[in-house]
Amino acid sequence: MVSYKYSDKGTVIHRLNPWCKLAWIVSVCILALLFDNPIYLLLLSLSTLPVILATRAWKEWLSVMKFAFFLCLLIIVINALVSNQGSHVLYQFPVTIPIAGAPRITLEGILWGVGNSLRLLAIISAFTVLMFAIHPDDLMLAMVKAKLPCKSVMVTSLSTKFVPTLIDDAQCIADAKKSRGLELDKGGRIQRVKSYASIAIPLLSNSLDRAVQVAEAMESRAFGSGGKRTFYKELKLSKVDITILSFVFFSIAFGIFLRCSGQGGYQYYPIVEAVSLTASEWAMLFVLLLLVNAMPILALLKRKVSLD
Amino acid sequence: MISIKNLTFYYSGGDKPSLRDIDLEIHDGEFVLLTGPSGGGKSSLCRCLNGLIPHFYGGKITGKVEVNGLDVTKHSTKELATMVGMVFQDPENQLVTVDVDRELAFGLENLTFAKEVIARRVEEALDTVGIASLRHRATSELSGGEKQRVAIASVLALYPDILVLDEPTSELDPKGAEDVLNVVERLNDELGITVILVEHRLDRVVAHSDRVIVLEKGMITADGDPRSILSDGRVCQSGVGIPPIIKLAQAVKSKDNLIDNTPLTVKEGRITLAKTLRHSKPFASRHSEHPSLSLRAEGVAIPRPFAIAQGDNKESVIASETKQSHLKPLIEVKKLWHVYPDGFVAVKGIDLKVCPGEFVAIMGRNASGKTTLVKHFNGLLKPTKGDVVLDDINTKEATVAELSRKVGYVFQNPNDHLFCNTVEEELAFTLNNLEVQGEEAKPLIKQTLERFDLMQYRYQYPRFLSGGEKQRVALASILVAQPQVIILDEPTRGMEYRLKAELMKFLDQYRIDGRAVILVTQDVEIAAEFSDRVVLLSEGKIVVDGPKREVLSRALLFSPQINRLAQALRSYGIPGDILTADEMIEALA
Repeated sequence: MVSYKYSDKGTVIHRLNPWCKLAWIVSVCILALLFDNPIYLLLLSLSTLPVILATRAWKEWLSVMKFAFFLCLLIIVINALVSNQGSHVLYQFPVTIPIAGAPRITLEGILWGVGNSLRLLAIISAFTVLMFAIHPDDLMLAMVKAKLPCKSVMVTSLSTKFVPTLIDDAQCIADAKKSRGLELDKGGRIQRVKSYASIAIPLLSNSLDRAVQVAEAMESRAFGSGGKRTFYKELKLSKVDITILSFVFFSIAFGIFLRCSGQGGYQYYPIVEAVSLTASEWAMLFVLLLLVNAMPILALLKRKVSLD
Repeated sequence: MISIKNLTFYYSGGDKPSLRDIDLEIHDGEFVLLTGPSGGGKSSLCRCLNGLIPHFYGGKITGKVEVNGLDVTKHSTKELATMVGMVFQDPENQLVTVDVDRELAFGLENLTFAKEVIARRVEEALDTVGIASLRHRATSELSGGEKQRVAIASVLALYPDILVLDEPTSELDPKGAEDVLNVVERLNDELGITVILVEHRLDRVVAHSDRVIVLEKGMITADGDPRSILSDGRVCQSGVGIPPIIKLAQAVKSKDNLIDNTPLTVKEGRITLAKTLRHSKPFASRHSEHPSLSLRAEGVAIPRPFAIAQGDNKESVIASETKQSHLKPLIEVKKLWHVYPDGFVAVKGIDLKVCPGEFVAIMGRNASGKTTLVKHFNGLLKPTKGDVVLDDINTKEATVAELSRKVGYVFQNPNDHLFCNTVEEELAFTLNNLEVQGEEAKPLIKQTLERFDLMQYRYQYPRFLSGGEKQRVALASILVAQPQVIILDEPTRGMEYRLKAELMKFLDQYRIDGRAVILVTQDVEIAAEFSDRVVLLSEGKIVVDGPKREVLSRALLFSPQINRLAQALRSYGIPGDILTADEMIEALA
């Protein structure tokens, strides 16, 4: 059982300023969208691993990634079926669909799916850091400082806080239903949908009751009382944090530079390209990945500094 | 200072007023206990005090409510937040941040206090409530009692003059409730904060209050000092749970006029009763003729804390087993262990038999394994090791649905049970799952609806009924299948006394035809009055299992009020194993 709740594991990454982590996530996303070459995307996905290991949230990461893999599989299958532009035909369907033409499965179609799955994996992997290594209250604070509307940020933050409660609630209702003789997983598809609907209705009304109560409690403590909200805790940027931030920005700039100088591009259609890289391209890619991993390396430094 | 004049309030869409012609003045520093049957308007009145009514709820309001001279209809809840602090019933739904210290800062941040001021006030609030040790903890990890104390601290940081608590203990275990009430009493004593406390269970708080107000059908039906209110017979009729000690005093008073005042605590009761006993003839000779009460208590006085540890209950365990041994057990638990997926060992090698006709109360602290144990009885949980055999069926080999024919399980929150469009459908749903349909089902449904007095609501939407009614529908939806065993998980939490008593009387009847009732509860008074066997769990093990009289008398935390009194009066010949007011009255007669 993996709980999707934030828990402070006290690692160097947990203790970093949330801005550093947010900037790092953004940098991975930008890089993942920038490059098309599957080697770049594969190595970029893998280069998120040191950060995940440093947060000691690999169990949670694994369970998220299981879902991500399933999603990728779906992308590959659907793209293979829908896209018929490639030139290496692996299978030609014997039927013709009006307007769409004759569907066929091509090598290019499959490879496009794989390449873009790698892109998605890199992004999802980076976002697990947001879920498991940024304190939700800090995240909220950072969002408010980034001039997002305070109320909306608060509501978003609250709704994530109540997800575990919702899961417990659903379990409890399912137990109550089973105790009344309902076989949740029995019968045909329609019967099962009906059975699960019987959980959804009490779950929804319980959640609405809960929402009213939370709103009442917040109102009673003067939430939204005009004026600029102050903050008990500030997000202080230490020297190490600033160094990390500059490395993260540098990695984005370096990525853009590489892409503009023609590296990391790739064409799937109409004929799939070869993926070989020159020695200098390998070297540049290595530097880029090192820059992406500047955060966990420098974070270790922070521990040293804070002990002094 | 709160001043309410001619207050009448209708919720929007309501055709009956929730509050009717309320006139009330509450002075600074008073400790007011607000009580009355559910649906009486207690929560509505609380919500008028900080402007949630009418600003949050809307509705129609007439009359005047003034808090420190401010009209609540003209000043918003936010403005009133620094005067009136509100603490709500459910600890889950009033904490909004992840960490305790930020929770305390939340209100101050909203009111745009400077960071330095916030820091100071957070420290003060942590210390005042005595939760400094929790400051860096995540709120989701705290126990109910701790959460409720955090909620109190978080409103206290706003420096309110008035603290309004709407049933703050109804979701808590006795220990958590005790902690919360201690804090509230201290705030009133030492800081002079006006306290308005809504409570069903009066025994714990009544002694500390200056004033008791009873609200019924939106009107104030009694208002005065606790002694006079609680000794007033009319108040008892309204369903307010009169503490057993006062019930006892009333009975004694009506016999002879030796009791001049109404005792509110065990200590006062002890003194008053001792005085009465001294004036009358010795009791020892008389009650020995009483077969229902044993005289064991007159023997060697065992220091109470050690009573359980010394294992003097072994005898009684055997006694209860031999008594039932001729019957085949309905439930047999053999060396049951349960380990949750996260590695928590909740039940550690429990052996237990439940026979037909038994009314078993399963008690213990929070997380002692009570719910885990009973969830094995209908197969919701399967043993990690060991077996649970239910009427020759091993629960490992049956689904919950199959077992539901034999075992009914009522969850604590009736809302988890209800989802059909009408009360009648709710009952039909259960029968339908058990393949009882059409003409066969109709008489069963009708009979059950009648028994639970639900005929008038048969076509109503169940979730719109009141709390007590919902509980009855939930119970009816289980009992319509006439299971041999019925399990209730904390059914009386937050329930008013009258409803509790009705429910228990019904359960008492239900077990007579060879069925068994298993009640998970932390309510000692209920266990003492209605069960006949008590199983006390601690850390996943059975600590004591025996007749209630053996288990509940001479226990420290798990002993009812009257038993504590009886213990103290043993030198006057009162048996030490008396548990309820009625037994005590009988013994004194």
